[in-house]
Amino acid sequence: METFAQSLVSGVLTGALYAMIGIGLTVVFGVMRIINLAHGEMVMLGMFGAFWGQKLWKLDPFVSLLVWTPLMFVAGVLLYRLLLRKIIPGGELNTLLYTAGLSLLVANLALLVWTGDYRTISLSYGVTVRPFGIAIAVPLAIAFVLAILITVTLGLFLSRTNLGRAIRATSQNPEASVLMGIDVERVAMVTFGLGTALAGAAGVLLAPSLYLYPTVGELLIVKCFVIVVLGGLGSVPGAIAGGILLGVVESLGAVYVSGAYKDGIGFVLFLAVLLYRPSGLFGAGR
Amino acid sequence: MALLEVHGLTRHFGGVSAVSDLSFSVNEGEILGLIGPNGAGKTTVFNLVTGFIRPLAGAIRLDGQSVVGLRPHAVARRGIARTFQIVKPFPGLSALENVTLAAFLRHPARRDAEAAATAQLTRVGLGGRLNEIASRLTLMDQKRLEMAKALATRPRLLLLDEPMGGLNATEVDDASDLVRQIRASGVTVVLVEHVMKAIMRISDRVVVMNQGEKIAEGHPKRVVEEPAVLAAYFGKRVA
Amino acid sequence: MKRRHLPALLGVAVLIAIPLSIRNSFFLHVCILILMWTVLGAAWNVLGGFAGQVSFGHAALFAVGAYTTIILYLKGGLAPWWGIPLGGLAAALVSVPIGLLCFRLRGPYFALATLAVAEIVKLVALNWESVTAGSVGYLITTLPSVRLFGLSVNWEAKTPFYAAAVALAVVALLTTGWLRNSRLGAYLVAIRENEDAAEAVGIDTVRAKVVTLALSAFLAGMGGGFYAFYFRYVDPDAVAGIGLSMEMVFIAVVGGLGTVGGPLIGAVFLTAVAELVRDRFQMGHLIFYGLFMMLVIRFMPEGIWGRVRRLTAGATAGA
Repeated sequence: METFAQSLVSGVLTGALYAMIGIGLTVVFGVMRIINLAHGEMVMLGMFGAFWGQKLWKLDPFVSLLVWTPLMFVAGVLLYRLLLRKIIPGGELNTLLYTAGLSLLVANLALLVWTGDYRTISLSYGVTVRPFGIAIAVPLAIAFVLAILITVTLGLFLSRTNLGRAIRATSQNPEASVLMGIDVERVAMVTFGLGTALAGAAGVLLAPSLYLYPTVGELLIVKCFVIVVLGGLGSVPGAIAGGILLGVVESLGAVYVSGAYKDGIGFVLFLAVLLYRPSGLFGAGR
Repeated sequence: MALLEVHGLTRHFGGVSAVSDLSFSVNEGEILGLIGPNGAGKTTVFNLVTGFIRPLAGAIRLDGQSVVGLRPHAVARRGIARTFQIVKPFPGLSALENVTLAAFLRHPARRDAEAAATAQLTRVGLGGRLNEIASRLTLMDQKRLEMAKALATRPRLLLLDEPMGGLNATEVDDASDLVRQIRASGVTVVLVEHVMKAIMRISDRVVVMNQGEKIAEGHPKRVVEEPAVLAAYFGKRVA
Repeated sequence: MKRRHLPALLGVAVLIAIPLSIRNSFFLHVCILILMWTVLGAAWNVLGGFAGQVSFGHAALFAVGAYTTIILYLKGGLAPWWGIPLGGLAAALVSVPIGLLCFRLRGPYFALATLAVAEIVKLVALNWESVTAGSVGYLITTLPSVRLFGLSVNWEAKTPFYAAAVALAVVALLTTGWLRNSRLGAYLVAIRENEDAAEAVGIDTVRAKVVTLALSAFLAGMGGGFYAFYFRYVDPDAVAGIGLSMEMVFIAVVGGLGTVGGPLIGAVFLTAVAELVRDRFQMGHLIFYGLFMMLVIRFMPEGIWGRVRRLTAGATAGA
C-alpha cells in the first residue's frame, strides 16, 4: 500500500511536468494544425538553459525561469515568423517533415556544442523529504508547484484576455474566426511563442530532476505524443489529464509490471486511443 | 421494380438526428429530385447510400441486394456513383488523369481507360481541356469534371449533390440538359439541388426532406404546394 | 522510348565500372552505403512519396528484415542470397497487420501511429530474448567464403557486398519504375491527392495502401538483411531506432518524393555529405540532414531530382 501511494505521488509530480510539455504541443496543434516535432528540442534547450545559468552565473535554476521563459517565447515567435510561416501553407505533412528536420538540426547542433555527455544539476536543497513516509525530492516538488502556477496562469490568460479568447476561438473554428475579424496570423505567432515558452519552461523545471543530454528531446517528444493523443490533440485539459495519467502509469508500471515491458504500456495505450478514440480518452466523439 | 430501395434509414451524430426512419425508392430510368432546406440531411443520405457513413438502422438495396456495410469503393463497383457538393477532384492531376482513374474500375488496361475517360470528358463538354490541371479549372468545369468522373465508373445509379450550385442561369440550363441526356443514356439519377427551377423542370418525382425526415413525395408541381413543404421552407407562419 | 532508357543504361555502366577502376576500399564502402540507402529511401518513397502516407516507423520493417536474415544465417546457415529476400518477405508479412491497423488513420495521425508501432517493435526486440538475444544482439563472427555459380565469393573483400548492393538497388529502382507506370501507382497518386474521391470512383484505398506497404516493407526488409551481413551486427538500437526511420524519410524527401530516381540522388547527396564531414565532427552529418530537409521543403518541395527533371523537361519544351 505504501509503495502504491509512493508511486502515485511521484507519478503525479512528474505527470504535471509532462502535462506542461504536452500543453505546449497541443495548443500549437489546436491553432495551426501542425505537430511540431521539434518540441522536444525546445524542452532540451530549456534544460540546458537552466544548467548553464547555474554553471556560469550561479543562477538558481528555478529563478532562471524568469529569464528563459520570455527568451523562449521570443525564440518561438521568431521561429514562426522567419521559418514556419512560409511552410505551413504547403500542408500539414510538409510542416511535419520540416519540423522533423528542425528537430534533427537543433539536437545535433547541441551535440556539437555541448557534446553527448550526461550532465546533472546539483542543488543545495536537492534533498528528499518524507512527509507521511512518502519520499519526495524537493526540486521535483518545487517544479510541480511552479508547473501548476504556470498552467493556471495560462488557463487564466486563455479564458480572461482577448488574445487568449482569440486563440481558443481559432482553435475551435479557424474559418469562423477569420470571419469574426480575428488576426489569425498574429494569433498563430503568439501561440507558437507560447508553445515554445511552455516547452522551455518545462525544460528548466525538469532540469534538476533529469539527466541532461542533447538528444533527450527524442525521448520527450515521444512521451509528449502519448500525452496529447491520450487527451485529444488540441485539448488543453486533455493534455493535463494525459500528462498526469502517463506520469502515474509509468511510475506504477515501474513497480508492478516487469521492468522489461513497462515502457510499452504507454505506446500500446497510445495506439489504442489513436485507433479507437481519436478525439482522446476524455473528449466527446467527433 | 425499383432500382434503389431505402427503408427505415436512420443515423444520428452525437444525439442530433441527421436522418431518421427515412424510406423512399428510386425507379429505374427516372430522375428523382431530393430537396429540402439546409441541414435537412440530403447529403447525409448520399453518404449513407454510398458507404461513406454507416447507418445505425435501416436497409439500402440496389436491385434487391443490400449495399449496407460495403465500403464506398465496393458500392461504386456495384453501380452507384456520386458527385460531391464541394467538388473533390484530384487537384494536381490533369482532367484526363482524373477521369482515367475512375475509368480503371471497368477498364483495367490503361489505354481502354483513357479512351473511356476521353469519351466521358467530351460528353460533359471538357473535350478541349483534357490536359488542363484540375485545380486550374473553373468551378463550372470542376463540376463537369466531377460528373465525368462519376460517369466513367459506368454507374446504373448516379447521385448528384448540388451539381448546379454556384452556376449562372445559362450554365444551369446546360447542366440540366446534361442531366437529361445522362438519363436518356440509361442511367438513373438522384439529384440534390437548391436551384428549384432546375428541379422543377427535370425531375420526374421529388422527395422532400426536413430535419432528417421525409415530409412529402410526388410530382414536383404538386409537392411544392403541400402545406408541410411550404412550412419547412418558409417557416410555420405561412402554413 | 529508347532515349528514355539511355540514362539508366549509362548508370548501370558506371555502377559496373566503379569497382573495376577504383580499388580504394573506403570509396567502395561509401558506394555500398549509398546503394543501401537508395534501397531504403526507395522503400520509404513507395509509400510516402507515391501514396502520401508519411511513416515514421520504417525502422521496424528494416529491423524485422535484419533479424530474420541474421537469425536464419546463425541458426540455419542460410546464405545471404536466400536470407536477404526472406528477410524482405518477413518484413512484408509483418507489415500487413500493421497496415490494416494504422491505415485506419490519416495524415499526421498515421505518422504518429507508425512511430508508436516502431517503438513497440523495438521494445519487443529488446525483451524477447529467446529470439532476438535482447540488448546484446547478434554478431556474425565469421563469414566463410562460398562458391556461387562456380565463382569463389570472398566476404572479406568489399566487392561481393558491392555487387549485392547494386542488385538490391536495381531491384528497388525497377520496382519504383514499374509502380510509376502501373495501375496501382495511379491509385496511389489518387489516394495522395484525395482519399475520399479515390474511394468514390471505386478505388479500394485500404487494399492499395496495404499492398504498397507490403512492397515497401519487402524493400526495407531486404535493406535490413543486407545491413546485417555487411555490418555483421544486429541489435535493437542499431536497427530499430527512430533515427533510422527518419534517415529513410530524409533521403526520400531530399531526393524527390514520388520520383523514381529521387532516392538514389538523395542517397548520393546525403551520404556524400555525411562522409565528407564525418572526420571534422562526429555527429555532424545529422546537422546537415536536418538543414537540407528544411531547405528542400522550403525551396524545392519536389526534391532535387524532381527539380532537375522539371528543369530538363522545360528545356526540351516537352510535357
